[in-house]
Amino acid sequence: MPTAEEIKQRIEAAIPGATADVEDYTGTGDHFRATVTAEVFAGRSRLEQHRLVYDVFGAEIGGAIHALSLKTQSAQVSVPTP
Amino acid sequence: MPDPTSPTPAGSQSNPIRDAIAEAIAQNEVILFMKGTPEAPACGFSARTVAALQALDARFAAVDILPDPRIRQELSALSNWPTIPQLFVGGELVGGCDIVIEMYQSGELAQVLGIEAAVGPAAPLVDPGEPLTPPLTQIENRLG
Repeated sequence: MPTAEEIKQRIEAAIPGATADVEDYTGTGDHFRATVTAEVFAGRSRLEQHRLVYDVFGAEIGGAIHALSLKTQSAQVSVPTP
Repeated sequence: MPDPTSPTPAGSQSNPIRDAIAEAIAQNEVILFMKGTPEAPACGFSARTVAALQALDARFAAVDILPDPRIRQELSALSNWPTIPQLFVGGELVGGCDIVIEMYQSGELAQVLGIEAAVGPAAPLVDPGEPLTPPLTQIENRLG
């Protein structure tokens, strides 16, 4: 079973310039939440962005990684000041 | 002698499940492949996706992928998407739970569904209530 840290490393190694924040949100090592920021996502649809991340793991999705919930963005979204 | 007016299949093996999935996607404007049913979703991701559609009062067909593991296999091969649920609109994959929820919150889901939503932030999703959906498409029953 991968750890959140391993998943983070694999995403960042496979997607150039990506930073990933990964959380194991059930503590059982198989349900993860990842926020991935990468310039290569710019101009791509959400589908394409998510596919890029899922492709890193291939057949593990739904297997060893039961769930990988994704949020992808091309740049850090800064909260606008009111 | 084969009937010259009917096309022969490309390969010698037919794939009735893949064909039934493709047909269901083509015949239903909005179709959700999910775990369980809209009345009784079997997983949280499917439940949330159903909740988003129901919050918009959308009509949609639903297919439970749990009865036969081949459904999920063939669906993923067709859509090039590894997870369940999968929402298709107008014959095209819109996305899974994460994408559908993001689009619901931004108002894009209502737009894609051709639903006039109220201006302003989308209502927070609550637990699905009474289902408004048409009956399930029973893919496994179509195999004869």
